[in-house]
Amino acid sequence: MNYTELLNTAADVGYLLVVNGGEIYRAEESIQRIFRAYGVTNGEVFVIPTLIEAAVSTPDGTPLTCIRRVPVRTINLDRVERVNALCRRIWNETPPIAEIRGELSRIKKRPAPSFLTQTVSFTLVAASFSLFYGGTPRDAAVALCCGFVIRLSTRFLEAYRVNSFFVNVAASFLAAAIALAAAHFDLSLSYDKIIIGALMNLVPGIAITNFMRDIIAGDIIAGILRLTESVLVATAIAIGAGIALTATRMLWGV
Amino acid sequence: MRILLPYLSAFSACAGYCLLFNIRGKALVASSLGGVLGWLVYTLSNPLQNDIMQYFLATVATAVYAELMARTMKKPATGFQIVALLPLVPGGGIFYTMEYCVIGNNSMFLSTGIHTLGIAGALAMGVLLVSSVVRLIHFVTTRRAW
Repeated sequence: MNYTELLNTAADVGYLLVVNGGEIYRAEESIQRIFRAYGVTNGEVFVIPTLIEAAVSTPDGTPLTCIRRVPVRTINLDRVERVNALCRRIWNETPPIAEIRGELSRIKKRPAPSFLTQTVSFTLVAASFSLFYGGTPRDAAVALCCGFVIRLSTRFLEAYRVNSFFVNVAASFLAAAIALAAAHFDLSLSYDKIIIGALMNLVPGIAITNFMRDIIAGDIIAGILRLTESVLVATAIAIGAGIALTATRMLWGV
Repeated sequence: MRILLPYLSAFSACAGYCLLFNIRGKALVASSLGGVLGWLVYTLSNPLQNDIMQYFLATVATAVYAELMARTMKKPATGFQIVALLPLVPGGGIFYTMEYCVIGNNSMFLSTGIHTLGIAGALAMGVLLVSSVVRLIHFVTTRRAW
């Protein structure tokens, strides 16, 4: 039994889960399951959204630890699902570790949504939510442009390694400014419906949903991290839109 | 058509998010229908005249739906849950709170803000309740912690 390889593979599995938006308890359980599938019962795991720690002791008592830092987390549920299926297979069949590594690199190579798909989804979300909150089709059309601008601006800023707080402030400011400008020239538009719809793209839905699940599963620190993250994002969105609202009030005196 | 519009737009909004989260095929339709279900429960429970309670019931419905779909489609429940909850996220509440803050209307700012927090709490409680019950059922039936 090669303990180093087992530990590295298990940590990679956990990393793939966390980095693609899987829950914390899922990552911890998966790593523990892999250890147990290969007969290691003294494994320890600690996962929070930004860090993965896994440790085992070899039969002669030497402790081995593996740490993976998780700098950025995106959401790609296709990968989470495939890693999850792989874990089930490991638990049931205990394949050789080389096979798991091959499967992991195949999962890593699976296509993520392209920039075009992301842009389409941003515009679709913005337009649909502005209709959902009671906007007219004209509002939805403006929201669609706002969604497009949000995706472009976040992409542009992320390329320059700008921190996510400022990215959210800037994107939310731009979306709100476009909506307010459009509503200034066309009084039949309701700017609030447009802004709400467009900003639903930035709302941290996954953090809000997951933090409670994490806390209930006993991962209090992970839950608090996600709660803080979602409060920060919500604040950033509010600041951006707030600046746009204040600025237009000053400019046009409305 | 006017009555159907919120459901159709909820569906397309959820579908947009599915594209972003890389949920494809049958799972895309199933997750987006979860969003429609949530809003349906919200509107059907309108006689309660208490929107925090309505949000709570709608969240419970989506969470149960997500767990059922996860069992039938053999996929993690999170995906269904995140997407189905999106139409219930109080985006409007957050925006109006901020707007009252900018205008300087403090009493409306506080009352809207607290109401929005209440809705967020209702969503969290709904997810919490279902996820605890599912864990309990799972433990009772399998006698394993996972």
